Amino acid sequence: MVSDFFYPNMGGVESHIYQLSQCLIEKGHKVVIVTHAYGRRKGVRHLTNGLKVYYLPLQVMYNQSTATTCFHSLPLMRCVFVRERITVVHAHSSFSAMGHDALFHAKTMGLNTVFTDHSLFGFADVSSVLTNKLLTVSLCDTNHTVCVSYTSKENTVLRAALNPEIVSVIPNAVDPTDFTPDPSQRLDDRITIVVISRLVYRKGIDLLGGLIPELCLKHPDLHFLIGGEGPKRLVLEEVREKYQLHDRVRLLGALEHKDVRGVLVQGHIFLNTSLTEAFCMAILEGASCGLQVVSTRVGGIPEVLPEELITMCEPNVRALCAGLETVIARQRSGSVPSPASIHARVQNLYTWRNVAERTEKVYDRVAGEEVLPLDRRLRRLRAHCGPVAGSIFAFVAVLDFLFLLLLQWWVPDWVMDVAVDATGPHGLWRQVPSSKVGAHSKSAVK
Amino acid sequence: MMEDESFTDINGKSISLDCQSHSSLCSEFIVSVPKVSIGKVMVYTCCVWLLAYAVFFFTENTAVLSSAIFITLVGMMLHIHFVKVDHESLLVIGSLGIQVSSSYASGRETTTFIEMSKIKDIVINEAIYMHQIIYYLCVLLKEPSDPDAVSSVVPLFQSSKPRLNCLVKVYKSCQEIISKC
Repeated sequence: MVSDFFYPNMGGVESHIYQLSQCLIEKGHKVVIVTHAYGRRKGVRHLTNGLKVYYLPLQVMYNQSTATTCFHSLPLMRCVFVRERITVVHAHSSFSAMGHDALFHAKTMGLNTVFTDHSLFGFADVSSVLTNKLLTVSLCDTNHTVCVSYTSKENTVLRAALNPEIVSVIPNAVDPTDFTPDPSQRLDDRITIVVISRLVYRKGIDLLGGLIPELCLKHPDLHFLIGGEGPKRLVLEEVREKYQLHDRVRLLGALEHKDVRGVLVQGHIFLNTSLTEAFCMAILEGASCGLQVVSTRVGGIPEVLPEELITMCEPNVRALCAGLETVIARQRSGSVPSPASIHARVQNLYTWRNVAERTEKVYDRVAGEEVLPLDRRLRRLRAHCGPVAGSIFAFVAVLDFLFLLLLQWWVPDWVMDVAVDATGPHGLWRQVPSSKVGAHSKSAVK
Repeated sequence: MMEDESFTDINGKSISLDCQSHSSLCSEFIVSVPKVSIGKVMVYTCCVWLLAYAVFFFTENTAVLSSAIFITLVGMMLHIHFVKVDHESLLVIGSLGIQVSSSYASGRETTTFIEMSKIKDIVINEAIYMHQIIYYLCVLLKEPSDPDAVSSVVPLFQSSKPRLNCLVKVYKSCQEIISKC
């Protein structure tokens, strides 16, 4: 698994990678995660159940994504791939430059590749045209692509000009035992609306800023709990200042994943105002905690929950207000299903085990496929990505190949020590005494 | 007991490991690196001198040539005195401590001793070194206030950098001795 995004950074992709890896380890696969160094956290770490994480010291450029020059990461990546005897490289998230780099190098080294796309993109503006082109180049010779929803699949297929047959849909999941309802935490004299998202434009925080005063004016017992951090926090603070809502709108700031449930159970209604979303884990977590979910009808959200558990609105202030009004009215009249019954319905919809099983099938299929040799790869790049970009990247691919040859001469494969397996068929992790694992953050290898 | 097997370092150069077990509680491990080869010295010297001659050809200043001679001599001296390690040894004495010493090509020796009471454990760890990921042997030191915590890590065999099979051998014997006391 390769991605720029992993713990200690927080978000949907990070937890997806972690949970999926844990379930794959449980199934007896060997999983290694490669990401870039976060501050002082660099080197090799072992997490629960012997999940090995390489924090490679690569320069971070923008938004926790590494700078890509296509070449400088090759020596380290090659070292990881060789010493861990990797067979399939699985990159996550189209924002992750490191993921694309890894795919590129893996193909040069003749390894099978899988890519998971976690987000939706537009087609119109300059930046998305450029990212789409890069994605086309990156995915045109990737063995298989995984998307998190059918909307996302459609989007990715169009963006990267892929053959839909090599694109699978595997949704995200939540851990239902982490998100259990607890109605006793709710305050009965008020109705609390919970919003948990990063406070950025993509999450529709401007819509939220528009609907808060309108609803608070109409319903004096309405309270907002907003968890998350981001540049759009200013908008919310401004609204709070202007309408004197300090006691009714609480901004909690950045939340750790373990605290999310504690916030969710305090609310009656979960509100999601995203403008674009491939899957939306947040509404699933909200529903799992037994909340009424109100969301915008964008991207893959309509696929996520059955209709009776979610109220959909168009992404504008008026529609969202109307949607919230009906849910508030239902809440007051007491005609909503109990949190426990909602939880019971949601808990079996999306589980990580199921995700891991489906991912396993993708891996099995990919492992049997052949990797394109260099000449066919070049022809494919040029045929698939247009004469200009195709030729440029074909040239880059040739350079990458030459660089690989140089490295193979400089540090031959047989010189690299094969890593001791912590997980997988020959995993040694169970033999390591658990006290020792807890004692060192950098754990000993026996 | 003397043992000699062929091992290589992380760059594929051959090194030799010499295990001497003085008693059941005391053993010494010496990792020796091959001596500076005369060919390598010639190549480096030739490079510096050819470069100097090229500069001299264009500037016609004899100071360039004399400084080249000076640079080669000083560089060689510094190299054998501070960089080139002939052998590194690790002496483990149960109940007393660990002595780490390295002797340079010039004959200079540096020695450090770590008391057993300060040592928590000896482990093999993984690290990213230059553009490689390598295994290395290290001593974990105890935090004086909290015996469970690790205050710092002392890497062993820093300049010879043997590969895993060699490290495992040293590690096993070290663990045997440490576990006895």
